Amino acid sequence: MNVAASGVWQKNPALAWREIDDETVIISPGESVMHELNNTGSLVWRNIDGQRKAEDLARLLVEQYDVTQEVALADTLSLLAELSTRKLLLPAEEGAAR
Amino acid sequence: MDRLIARTVRNRRPLSVHFDLTYRCNERCVHCYLDHEDHGEMTTSECVDALEQLAKAGAFFLTFSGGEIFLRPDLEALLIAARRLRFDVSLKTNALLITAARAEMLKRHGVRRVQISIYSNEAAIHDAITKVPGSLQRSLAAIPLLQERGILVKIACPLMKQNLLAYRGVMALAEQLGAPYVLDMTITPMMDGTNAPLDHRLSPEALLPVLQDSKLHACGTKVIPEGFGSAPVLGSSVSSGAESSAYEDLPCSAGHNSCYVSPYGDIYACVQLPMAAGNLRRETFEEIWTDAPALERIRNVRESELPVCSSCEIRSYCERCPGLAWMEGGDLLGAYERACALAETKAKVAGVLNAKSAWHKKISAEAGTLSVNTRLTSDGFGCVEPKEKVISYV
Repeated sequence: MNVAASGVWQKNPALAWREIDDETVIISPGESVMHELNNTGSLVWRNIDGQRKAEDLARLLVEQYDVTQEVALADTLSLLAELSTRKLLLPAEEGAAR
Repeated sequence: MDRLIARTVRNRRPLSVHFDLTYRCNERCVHCYLDHEDHGEMTTSECVDALEQLAKAGAFFLTFSGGEIFLRPDLEALLIAARRLRFDVSLKTNALLITAARAEMLKRHGVRRVQISIYSNEAAIHDAITKVPGSLQRSLAAIPLLQERGILVKIACPLMKQNLLAYRGVMALAEQLGAPYVLDMTITPMMDGTNAPLDHRLSPEALLPVLQDSKLHACGTKVIPEGFGSAPVLGSSVSSGAESSAYEDLPCSAGHNSCYVSPYGDIYACVQLPMAAGNLRRETFEEIWTDAPALERIRNVRESELPVCSSCEIRSYCERCPGLAWMEGGDLLGAYERACALAETKAKVAGVLNAKSAWHKKISAEAGTLSVNTRLTSDGFGCVEPKEKVISYV
């Protein structure tokens, strides 16, 4: 899946999740699959709010970690695509409609 | 899951919480360890406050249990709160009060799993245990209502004198319904310490047909545990990894990354270890979880340092529970008769010659004879459902 830098995402409201010591565990009830995010993934997850664009999320990584905007954006888009494929994220407008 | 468990044990996060909302019940099961009374249950706002504190502390796997949870008129409000706090929610219920509308309500609020106690596929046996005529039919009727809505249903079958020979029927019923199941041999004293439920407990010898059942072995049961220090695998509605090797030298998760909340706000390490660590009406959860001497005492237990059990030659067949060691043997670190007797029976089934626990050897050496005492029991096993799939983005 291609994810645009200008794309805006929202957490799937059906999920259970918890950030524990900078790492995040997520369970999608329908599939009973557990997903884990490391500290950088958790930073992105924590800030997915239906408002920030992918490039905004990447910028947060740049502010927190020693990484270029280019690399941060590529990693962020890759993560968003993965999470979206697994239906942990929804496009913001779709999430808002639920 | 192992990684999550190791991290939460290391950092002392209460990953899994068993929260009894009430001890009141609409069944009167002969083996029950509760008194079925209301001695001052937490109000809705107290329960919600408890949930908020638990979430803040890192709790994630939440099991609402009882008593019968549907006797709480505010159950939906509590599920809404749990949903808002993003818990992974499981329920334990006898399902008598589950209607299509209530099943829909559970789905709406994100309940992922429901564990229902079924004692037999024969109404005469099941209803005699619950003391409620028609209860089997009503409990079974709830299962498709939940499954149709995508809620996982797990059948729990505690084994006792009244239903031992019914377990095969329960297994067949579970398979027919497409539900995972657990056969649980854990019959415990009442929480006030009285032993009445133990009258219904099966002797290790009586459990031989179960221990030797090839079908249970075939479906991956831990009838004969492979490793030292494994906690009872089953009895929890959440596959929260209680059997994980991440616990290493710890007896189980209790007090390390799991805890129990009573309807009155008492915090214990585990429902089977009713050693009060504190009460939410007097202290915050964080204060209790961080500072309670009772929890610290439990956290200091190491399997390799148990005075008798650590040197036991049949330890790998034993599912010693620290809570039952305390409740039944009076010593958190000690051996207790039921665990030893059951381990010996399992070892014999596995072909171990002269299987005798370290404790029994000690008693024999001291008294010149073996003291036979069959009043005790603990452990659970069954057909374990597949572990949840874990995807790590690390």
